[in-house]
Amino acid sequence: MRSAPRSRHCVALIALAGACLSAAGARAAETEPYIPEPLPPGFRVEVSELDGPVFADREGRTLYRWPFRTMRNGVTGDGKGESNCPDTPSTESAGLMSPYPGGLLLPDRDQRPSCQQLWPPAIARRNDQPVGKWTVVERRDGRRQWAYDGSVLYTSVRDRRPGDVLGGDSYREDGDAPAVRDPIQPRPDVPPGLAVSTTFRGRLLHTARGFSVYAFDGDTRTHSGCDAACEQQFVPIQAPAAARAHGEWGLFTRASGERQWTFRGRPLYVHAGDSRVRSLAGSDVPGWRTVYTQETLPPPAEFTVQDSSAGQVLADARGRTIYSYTCGDDAPDQLSCEHPADTQVYRLAMCGGGSAERCARNFPYVEAAQGARDSGRLWRVVEIDPGTGHLATGGAPGALRVWAYRERPVYTFAGDRQPGEVNADGLGEFLADREGFRAFWWRDEFFRE
Amino acid sequence: MNSSVSDATINRLAVLATGLLLATGAGAADGAAPEGRSIAYVVTNLSWALHSTPEMAECPQGLNDGVREQFKLLFPEVPGRPREFVDTQLRRQVESYHPTTAPDALPFLEGQGPVAPGLDLDGVVGPEDFTGPDGSRGIDNQMHRVLGCIANYRAPDGPIRFFEDEMVLRENYNRIIVQLAGVDSLASDPAVDVMIFRGLDPVLVDAGGLKALPGGTQRIDTRWGTRYIRRTQGRIENGVLSTEPVDLLYPWDAFYMPTDHYMWGARLHLALTPDAAEGLIAGYTDVETWYLHMQRNWSAHYQSYGKSSGPSIYKAMRRLADAVPDPETGANRAISSALAAKFTEVRVLPFSEAELAAIAAAKPGNPYGGMPARRPVEEELAETGAGAAPASAVAAQGNH
Repeated sequence: MRSAPRSRHCVALIALAGACLSAAGARAAETEPYIPEPLPPGFRVEVSELDGPVFADREGRTLYRWPFRTMRNGVTGDGKGESNCPDTPSTESAGLMSPYPGGLLLPDRDQRPSCQQLWPPAIARRNDQPVGKWTVVERRDGRRQWAYDGSVLYTSVRDRRPGDVLGGDSYREDGDAPAVRDPIQPRPDVPPGLAVSTTFRGRLLHTARGFSVYAFDGDTRTHSGCDAACEQQFVPIQAPAAARAHGEWGLFTRASGERQWTFRGRPLYVHAGDSRVRSLAGSDVPGWRTVYTQETLPPPAEFTVQDSSAGQVLADARGRTIYSYTCGDDAPDQLSCEHPADTQVYRLAMCGGGSAERCARNFPYVEAAQGARDSGRLWRVVEIDPGTGHLATGGAPGALRVWAYRERPVYTFAGDRQPGEVNADGLGEFLADREGFRAFWWRDEFFRE
Repeated sequence: MNSSVSDATINRLAVLATGLLLATGAGAADGAAPEGRSIAYVVTNLSWALHSTPEMAECPQGLNDGVREQFKLLFPEVPGRPREFVDTQLRRQVESYHPTTAPDALPFLEGQGPVAPGLDLDGVVGPEDFTGPDGSRGIDNQMHRVLGCIANYRAPDGPIRFFEDEMVLRENYNRIIVQLAGVDSLASDPAVDVMIFRGLDPVLVDAGGLKALPGGTQRIDTRWGTRYIRRTQGRIENGVLSTEPVDLLYPWDAFYMPTDHYMWGARLHLALTPDAAEGLIAGYTDVETWYLHMQRNWSAHYQSYGKSSGPSIYKAMRRLADAVPDPETGANRAISSALAAKFTEVRVLPFSEAELAAIAAAKPGNPYGGMPARRPVEEELAETGAGAAPASAVAAQGNH
């Protein structure tokens, strides 16, 4: 087991309308334990804020794969040992997503990058040799490309610092999302029967069946404050007879003689009242909290959390739900169209029917308060030209200082008139998995699994 | 399998009520009050009440085209003439997410009369009204004209109809409960209190998982669902509950997206038994809220399951809307409609002090107001050309 060090700073949060986000300084600096494995020389593991440990090349650039994926009308992505990411820009739609046909000329063709311009192949040096799951694949252009577990690897031009995962993420749900690129990651070091998933709030520890894991403030390393009656509500997670303590994982023997897993010194439980996977309902019970192998830093201080009809959503200072815009185009290379450096044609169509002015009225950017500063890597203040939707440079006239999540600006929706309304959640193609607006669900009590 | 309420069932409403009351033998059938003078029912099936006959008498010109078919008509593939994404697919997406009342460039086939299920909402027998399957006159159900000839919504197995109905039972988000209090008899009572709210728990079902069983337990949702809490009054005659109109926001998601509908002046007309209730929820459906629900749950791909088209539906719905005029524009915001509904009896846990306080403080939810910065009709007309519109659509423009 190995944990990478990571610096954190705390942001004071202000509760305005709705619930307070989190107490400043309440989060520990822990990062997720993972199982080390042999790496090519110079390659390493970096810890990203959202996705946890990721593999990186010699320069610390996160490595991604492009998994082969079945779409509605065909397949795309890389097969094992081959790259389908060309060095010439796509010009036509692929018709991979029903009901529209392929063969339509893509927008902004004169500015469209090639797949390889956005996703440079992770090229191996001449003398690099395979090690463990790492192999070297001969490309069609004669170069040698690193592969992991058979999947050829790329870096992302969006990533600039070690630990950045701005090209893709492990958070996006499947469904009808584009064929996205995933960061490759070492296996989390968790006992059998437990697993970890990336969530908006951190890397959630849960059972293999998906039920959230909880810890109790009344427990210590040597004593449990959860009595027999409590155990009816919070069921200890049993450790098998063969279990051995290691790293941050330990064993606690309850009064009944039952052995129970602990993590970072805290006995672990599941909540009998959780009726669905990844429910956080147990954390409503005073003293109980869900367990994360690592947590994300809090959202910006001026943000709030509001109760909606389906759980809690992140909201701006006035309680208006905050949305992200997701987009992947229907070309064979499935490039992103959600970053401000990407074409804005799709977004302007969705939010304003092609009009930037209507877009700004329907889906205004979330402007940063004066003096607002970045909160970690995920929440950053960027300057945007509202006329084009692209990044502005150096205090350009009319530029807005807005909040961005993973460098993608976030929005409110003027059609939400009361705190907690989520009228634009899922507005778009394929429930906005493919393209459109999604609310930031701080806690989803009905749908998310 | 589709277990939604059919025309035939609606037609048998009164007979059903009497029959079930006699069959159960207990409580209501002999006029006794339910335990504690209170009874609750949870919705298990919900679908738009349309007249859908196998011979399609209500659609003499056939069924409407959907997104896919319309795309082919509007942008045919011609060798040597490349099509731009922006001018074709993206244009249709804009027309879908930013719909206008510009005339439809393609024909829209309305559901025809004279028969459609529903209730007489305005107490008037007008030229647009239908005759109910049971012969009742003055039925207000313009929604039948909009959806009646769209395969997605037709009974018994239109794809969207099927999925939306199935999700009612499957998703806790859709757990609508109607609780009656002060009930002296399920057969007859001139005044009962009616409370509508959302429950938190799965519906009790049989081993097959699809048949709802009476006697399940529910808790009221006062954490996430206070916006759905409404109260009204009702009366029971011959085992049929009729309620006073109440503006109703109700949850109805289809594919894991928290979407709602809003019905102005909603009234329940339900045959009651100790174990179940069945009938209609009728009123004026808010057009923008309905359309937003469709766009969020059923984007173009899903609309193509059963040949529906967002832009065409929006135009028809706005054209045929018949109530709740907008105070600024005068255009009607809502359309007469009815939902066919089935309920199963449930036991609601007694409200705690905290829940009672939440109920008292609950603020009813609002309808959706539409896209704030709307696309001008003229902008769409410049792209589509008004000349292509069918005469019926052009004539109806005065409605806006």
